[in-house]
Amino acid sequence: MTKNQRNAYIALLAAQAVIISLFENAIPFPFGIAPGAKLGLANVITCMALYTLATKDTIKVVSLRLILATLLGGTLSTFMYSAAGIVLSFIGMWLVKKLGPDRISLIGVSATGAILHNIGQLIIASWIAQTWTVLLYLPVLSFVGILAGIAIGVMANYLLTHVEKLQYYQKVKETNEKVHGW
Amino acid sequence: MRSCFRMIKRWDLIIVAILILISFLPIALFSAVQAKTATNPAASRVAVITQDNKVIKKIQLTENKRTYQFVIHSGDGDEDTVEVQKSRIRVKSATCPDQVCVLTGFIDQPGETIVCLPYHLVIEIQSDNEPPQDIIVSS
Repeated sequence: MTKNQRNAYIALLAAQAVIISLFENAIPFPFGIAPGAKLGLANVITCMALYTLATKDTIKVVSLRLILATLLGGTLSTFMYSAAGIVLSFIGMWLVKKLGPDRISLIGVSATGAILHNIGQLIIASWIAQTWTVLLYLPVLSFVGILAGIAIGVMANYLLTHVEKLQYYQKVKETNEKVHGW
Repeated sequence: MRSCFRMIKRWDLIIVAILILISFLPIALFSAVQAKTATNPAASRVAVITQDNKVIKKIQLTENKRTYQFVIHSGDGDEDTVEVQKSRIRVKSATCPDQVCVLTGFIDQPGETIVCLPYHLVIEIQSDNEPPQDIIVSS
């Protein structure tokens, strides 16, 4: 992959993530049981980036997505929520993926991302409200998050196995990792 | 469908189970703390309403027999209607988009909270842990 190809690919992923999250904001969530719960469709892009790009470039995708999504449809407080969620979930997903493809599949990675996103947001919420009882809401969100995470893991797996370019990028990444250690 | 099941690996299950356990951790801690400070039922309960970390109202809930409601304004036409019904309290309606505070419903146990994040409003029930003063033994 040349440098330009990689830059274009990073920009493409970030743009897709922004569009997906804007689109998702427009869908009123039908679940009355868990207000505040979201599908987290943009997580597909983070999974994609984790599996096809180097860690450095994945961080670029994630931070571009965070900044652009805030500029296009957010406020300072939504920025804090999503920043905490995204940073925590990215760290978690990265660590979990380090277990290797023999041990963990995309389902586990994306479920981790979904739950840690919730945890990050609730920590910020409890910090803003100055009461940690907000965290008691966590089990409901995690339950929905796990279901959504599994669905998104399956989706990302389909994309990775059926889109030719993604498979190619994944192979490039794997050979790079073999050459440069990790 | 079968391919979905086949892609699940052992560590997926382990990780998901760990995460579910972690998400129950706050509840476990909370109930442990509650059990330690076992509030005696005679202690009086006070609903403390705070906004932007400033206490704006304290409502005595024990021995309250009335039902009434009042409105808390937080600028920009944002309103929360709070209802006190005997010894319990709830947010009856709010102009916020997510309505989490309204869906929480009535609370009456010490430690329970209603949180309205958009308006930075927190209603928390506290118990005055002073021993009841009315036990006067006369001989």
